[in-house]
Amino acid sequence: MNSMNSGQSDGTWSITTRVIVYAAIGAALYAVFNYISFGIAVPWSNAVSVRPHYGLLTFFGFAFGPVVGFLTGFVGNVVGDQLTGWGAFTSWPWSLANGAAGLVAGLFPLWMARRMTDGTNRAVTAAVAGVVATVVGFLLIFIELVTQQEMGFNAILSEEYIPVIIVNSIAAAIVTPILVLAWEPLREQLGR
Amino acid sequence: MRAAFPYLGRGSWLSRRDPRVLLLAALVFVTAVTQLRDSRQLAIVLALGLAYYATARIPWRTVRPQWIYLLAVISFFAFFNSLITGGRTGTFSGVATHVLVTLPPFGTEISAEGLSLMLSQVLRYAAIAAVGFPIAYAVAPGDLGVALRRLGVGDRIAVMVELTVRFIPTLAAEFGETIDAQRVRGYNPTARGGGPITRLRRMAPIFVPVTVGSIAGAEDTIDAMDLRGFGVGRRTWSRELRFGTVDRLVVAAFVAFLGLATFLNLSGGSQHYLLPFLVSA
Repeated sequence: MNSMNSGQSDGTWSITTRVIVYAAIGAALYAVFNYISFGIAVPWSNAVSVRPHYGLLTFFGFAFGPVVGFLTGFVGNVVGDQLTGWGAFTSWPWSLANGAAGLVAGLFPLWMARRMTDGTNRAVTAAVAGVVATVVGFLLIFIELVTQQEMGFNAILSEEYIPVIIVNSIAAAIVTPILVLAWEPLREQLGR
Repeated sequence: MRAAFPYLGRGSWLSRRDPRVLLLAALVFVTAVTQLRDSRQLAIVLALGLAYYATARIPWRTVRPQWIYLLAVISFFAFFNSLITGGRTGTFSGVATHVLVTLPPFGTEISAEGLSLMLSQVLRYAAIAAVGFPIAYAVAPGDLGVALRRLGVGDRIAVMVELTVRFIPTLAAEFGETIDAQRVRGYNPTARGGGPITRLRRMAPIFVPVTVGSIAGAEDTIDAMDLRGFGVGRRTWSRELRFGTVDRLVVAAFVAFLGLATFLNLSGGSQHYLLPFLVSA
């Protein structure tokens, strides 16, 4: 087990007290930031904005493992959607996609453990993990081909998937390493 | 900053139901309504969904902004979708469309089929929201975890969801305090200028302390739970839930609706409906 994955003392897929509390904190933060929703407009798009808090999701997955990542994304998005007034289950494929992104980000440290020898390597790996997790995880929004049959493949691809992976990848690539570097000294201080 | 789920439906007929009813109803309803395409059927379903919503007696004034936001976003989203597809999707795939208006400069078409699809999409989203809202406002605080547990979700996940809802007001308050503290140090959270990446990095003084501080604070919660032996043995819940006859009838009604929707879907009885007045115009 690598150092960044030390949030799970009993194995990658165990649901320990630590996993529960970290996931609850992650999901609550994700929901609160969703509620505050201060998107940063992207000049080349009218409808798309960068949501800085997306990086929280990939950070929680990367730092505390795939279970925390999935729960942070899935529960955080469900609760956040309800807080904003969108409705908890109105866009459930998106909640699932957020969860999948967190899960993939959490798998990365397991695969890349040997490469994460120092803080810089860890930060770079976190950025890569955030981008890959976004590209892979958000493939699940294509479930809407079944649940929203008014949208064809091209509409989901051009209207949803491509814009969202661009803006979320930007957020993940910047925010995830910042949080990893900020968390690392505290983690050592706490002896985790 | 007020971020929480106020118990707005307190005392209503729906709030007196077993909280499992509200969760099951929403899950069954979402599964059913995604199988329907005909806007006439979806309009009836929306009316039924709103009738269910009304039994939660959620004050309109309190949730009005949320409904306006929801309807505005889904209408814009569905309209944009109809422009992209041109109405050539779903039941209307491969058929000649009735173009009503062609928009410059790219010749984007607004068709009768596109608007018909848009209506189906808006009705479906609104119906799902109507049945989903009471989960947030008509389930008593503290009942969500036990309801999830009694539905078969593991103890730990049920506790995790309960904790998430409980953490929200605290974290929202911490967020507000952090912004105030950074303002005192000269930070301007509303500063504009620079590209998206520069502005994203400018958010670090807010994100980092709130996130790292919350994780550090979580250690106290973890220690408290461990000291109380959380997860060591079989967990019990002090709150007893009673699934009464009325609860069973409500769930049965939703399951019957799911059966009907599945039948309509499989038998081809729910195709997208082309609004006739758009074609004849």
